[in-house]
Amino acid sequence: MKKFLALFLALVMMLGCIGIASAEELPTITIMFHGSNVTDDTAVLEKVNEYIADKVGAKLEVIWGTWGDFDQKAADALLMADETVDMVFTCSWSANEYNTFAKNGYFVKLDDLIAEYGADLVAAIPEALMQAATIEGSEGKGIYAINGYKDVATQNCWDVNVTLLNELGYTLDDFKAMDFYSFGELFAKAKEVKGDSFYPFLIEPMVLERMVTNSIIVAGDSGSTNLLSLYLNPEDVSADGAYGNVLLNKFATPEYQKFVEKMHEYYEAGYVDPALAVAETSNDTRTAAQLSANYLIGTQSYALGYEYTASAERGIEVAFVPCTDPYVDTTASQGAMVAINSASNYPVESFKFLALLNSDPYLMTLLNYGVEGIHYTKNADGLIEFTEARGTYTPWTNGMGNVTILPDTAAEGAGFRKTFVEFYGGAKGIPSLGFVFNNTDVSNEMAALSNVAAQYALALDAGAVDPATVLPEFLAALDAAGMQTYLDAANAQLNAYLGK
Amino acid sequence: MVMKKPKANLNGFSTGTEIVFHVILAVFALACIIPFLFVVIISFTSEESIRAIGYSFVPQSWSLQAYDYVFAMGGALWRSYFNSFLITVIGTVASVAICVLYSYPLFRKDFKYRNFFNYFSFITMIFGGGLIPTVVICKTVLGLNDNYAALIIPMLFSPFNIIVMRTFFQTSVPMELIEAATIDGSGEYSTLTRIVLPIVKPGIATIALLNALAFWNEWFLSLLYLNKNMDIMPLQYLLMRMQRNADFLAKNASILGADAAKAVRELPSQTLKMALVVFIVLPISCAYPFFQRYVVAGLTIGSVKG
Amino acid sequence: MRAVTGTQTSQSRKTAMAGARFQKNFWLLTMVLPGAIWLLLLRYLPMFGVVLAFKNYRAHKPNTFWNNIVKSDWVGLENFKFLNSPDTTIMIRNTLAYNALWIVLGLVIAVSFAVMLSELRSRFTAKVYQTMMFFPYFLSWVVASYFVLAFLDPTSGMIPAIQKSMGAKVTNFYHDKTWWPLILTLSNLWKNVGYSTVLYLAAITGIDRTQYEAAAVDGATKWQQIWHVTLPNIRTMIIILLIMNVGKIFNADFGLFYNVPQNSGTLYPVTQVIDTYVYRAYANTRNIGMSSAAGLLQSVVGCICILATNAIVKKIDPESTLF
Repeated sequence: MKKFLALFLALVMMLGCIGIASAEELPTITIMFHGSNVTDDTAVLEKVNEYIADKVGAKLEVIWGTWGDFDQKAADALLMADETVDMVFTCSWSANEYNTFAKNGYFVKLDDLIAEYGADLVAAIPEALMQAATIEGSEGKGIYAINGYKDVATQNCWDVNVTLLNELGYTLDDFKAMDFYSFGELFAKAKEVKGDSFYPFLIEPMVLERMVTNSIIVAGDSGSTNLLSLYLNPEDVSADGAYGNVLLNKFATPEYQKFVEKMHEYYEAGYVDPALAVAETSNDTRTAAQLSANYLIGTQSYALGYEYTASAERGIEVAFVPCTDPYVDTTASQGAMVAINSASNYPVESFKFLALLNSDPYLMTLLNYGVEGIHYTKNADGLIEFTEARGTYTPWTNGMGNVTILPDTAAEGAGFRKTFVEFYGGAKGIPSLGFVFNNTDVSNEMAALSNVAAQYALALDAGAVDPATVLPEFLAALDAAGMQTYLDAANAQLNAYLGK
Repeated sequence: MVMKKPKANLNGFSTGTEIVFHVILAVFALACIIPFLFVVIISFTSEESIRAIGYSFVPQSWSLQAYDYVFAMGGALWRSYFNSFLITVIGTVASVAICVLYSYPLFRKDFKYRNFFNYFSFITMIFGGGLIPTVVICKTVLGLNDNYAALIIPMLFSPFNIIVMRTFFQTSVPMELIEAATIDGSGEYSTLTRIVLPIVKPGIATIALLNALAFWNEWFLSLLYLNKNMDIMPLQYLLMRMQRNADFLAKNASILGADAAKAVRELPSQTLKMALVVFIVLPISCAYPFFQRYVVAGLTIGSVKG
Repeated sequence: MRAVTGTQTSQSRKTAMAGARFQKNFWLLTMVLPGAIWLLLLRYLPMFGVVLAFKNYRAHKPNTFWNNIVKSDWVGLENFKFLNSPDTTIMIRNTLAYNALWIVLGLVIAVSFAVMLSELRSRFTAKVYQTMMFFPYFLSWVVASYFVLAFLDPTSGMIPAIQKSMGAKVTNFYHDKTWWPLILTLSNLWKNVGYSTVLYLAAITGIDRTQYEAAAVDGATKWQQIWHVTLPNIRTMIIILLIMNVGKIFNADFGLFYNVPQNSGTLYPVTQVIDTYVYRAYANTRNIGMSSAAGLLQSVVGCICILATNAIVKKIDPESTLF
């Protein structure tokens, strides 16, 4: 037994030693990204470190967060004041991290650093995005994260399988003349032609709800299931909507009732795949249906040029029919940012790195697309063509920062980034742009409400349950969970923000 | 001295009763493995068959597509497979050693600090400091960061297993045996290894099995402690990560728009996940009969005292 | 055996005995040591975290975890306010009811199975049953949730597919809460009964065979032998497992309630338990205070339950208590 014990102790000591790191002359700064699919970053980081040694005075390490793990990893690192994570991706849509964390002192206020080292950065990022990042944080009004220049405008579209539409005897113009409430005839026809196991309406229920009622996501609202609605003016997104600048209980409006009633009718008629009404199974189902072109009408939050990708992938003609003009709201304008952890020992080096990343095309291309000759090559037109090695190094492009300084790829076509800047730069802001609901004081209500909403909303939006009985039950449950308190707090803040 | 079974001579049950027992046990036992067989079948089912008739025990057509995808993952898959084995083996040996060493003195009525250490372990079953404080201590004080130790050390001790092991000692080791050994001049460690351990082999085998399963199925520690060194990720986490990616993209598809649509397409299909499940379950089903034999071998010895 | 010679004085004998006692305790202490160090570092040291339940935790300057804890404001019972929600009764009811039901069912079924297995004449068949039964315990809930999905998936699942082919109305399991108390109970038993059976079986096979022989000689039938020999011998094991399960009555098996129902909202009224509620609330608000408060609450309730059960057991059977 003694031998056993000795062996065990030796083992523990051995394991303990593996973690010890050796000293470096340059400090190491670490950044945590979202949505990555990276298994081998050695070649890239070698080049990056060569390049930034003088310019930044530090070595870079990257934590490649994945979609599913990032929230937990980032929140843990910040909450436990992990000094080894210097920079972290943040945004307004994923559990509202930017605003809450900035408010509670987890992020470094960047205004002084911008004034001292940020000339190139300021030149590279539009003023509007700097504005969007300016919030009331732990040290007063200021910028607490660097806002990436990406697809900042939102535009919800009908994703139309034009090939099938024509087959059914309709043209795209016929479709454009219809609206959600008059799709029934189209679906019935599709069902008749394609058989009973064909589901023509391929939806993301929550997106569909916003598309049909022209409402937006309110930044700071419960992240998993939205509770608040702000109605847009579909004719002119920069003008006030039907209710003005008032936040409403999303589920208590006549628009919502009308929507879920119609949806239930479609669901009962078999136009919607039941798997779409269960969050965990909806992805597989939707992707499979899209790729096999096994749908007629879908919903899609638009990204520039996506119709070409979609058509090529699905082997059909896909058209995206927008419901409104593209608009800029707070959620989208705080869609992808990088903040500096206030526990970091190297805020200056970190800032210098971020400034460089957002203004230097070489560094941005390197970190995003990889090393030329390994992860991509340039074709005769100077466009980027990815090699097989890109499979081991695929960061989330839009999560990294200023994507407008990236070169065009062969898949996107020449001039893509230029069009990109025009398209998104030209989008109009909604009247309450910049407003973020600070839910700290009502976080208990929010926790309760989001649980209630998670119970009902998806099934209602997908039409899986009968609104005649479920909707009143849902509304009563929301009231009991403190919806009015939540709503009042939100509206008081919005009024204060708009200076009413 | 080894006693042979069966022992039907001790006024055994009537054949009728025994048949009833067989039926009950057989039904339950079958119910326990049929879902797994079902998943194996699904993993070999072609996508067309699933689209046509859903998951079925008798699919219309078979396909190796899911396994082609799994094997296409190549290095990452085998590495994580290896990691799972390494973690399970080291973790099981170490945790069983700690468990036996800790619970044996607690069974000894003549151990002066018996009560103290009993409570010392038991209290932690009920009270804890919470996740974040524990992780902070592990990272800053113990250096559990991106290393195998981080995936093993936090699971080395289980107060529950201590109680189970202690009960095994209590029910199968007579105190007189230890007293006799002590009088013979046997040291404490040699009494434990030479006299006590052979008797409690079934208990040790049970605890070893429980610990091995816990290590094999663990993924949360990887989420907490692995940031940069993904090469040491175990298989269970590989599967869990796919699941979590799918969950997240489902929830945020509307905000991520085309990015999400692109990412979702890179996710594995349901059949592929079923194939990964097969990969995870296979080694344990192979290892279990070994443990089982061990348990039974220990039992025959354990059935005779003195 | 080392004889004590008559020439030794009683004084020196006492010293020798004290020395032996010291030696014994010393060696036994070294055995406890690795586990004790582990407990100290990984369980006792982090216990300072309990204060988070009463604090409004946030970052301060300089931003280190210790400094943040020290400088954050005391907020009294503010973090426990999450209990003041209409979901509270539902989640507490679900947690307690499922746990209570499963403790009883699990105990009865596992002990019966263990007794049956131990009495089968064919050792080989018993081994096969045991092997098969224990199998689900290998699997994590994530894996098990795929099994359930294979049967219930609304488009491809086996049951809906059969219903479809028979022209019956398809049950949308993930939106129909009627079935879930049954599905959860079956899933739980399916996964855990084998494990408890093995524990009890190991205890039963450890029973001295001579006890059965003596009973048989006295003319006891097999049923009587089970009642008078088997059950009293595994009583300690039964009671200890019972006390420990009761101690966890306020803690739910997270994976079962989260992964198996595929996190479907419609099912919350029958699947929401304290652990899932706190997890969902934490994911939305990142409020450590609240999750610490919930954890503390579970600990306190668990502690009370264990003490109460232990006290009851002490009255009935003083030998079998946990402490």
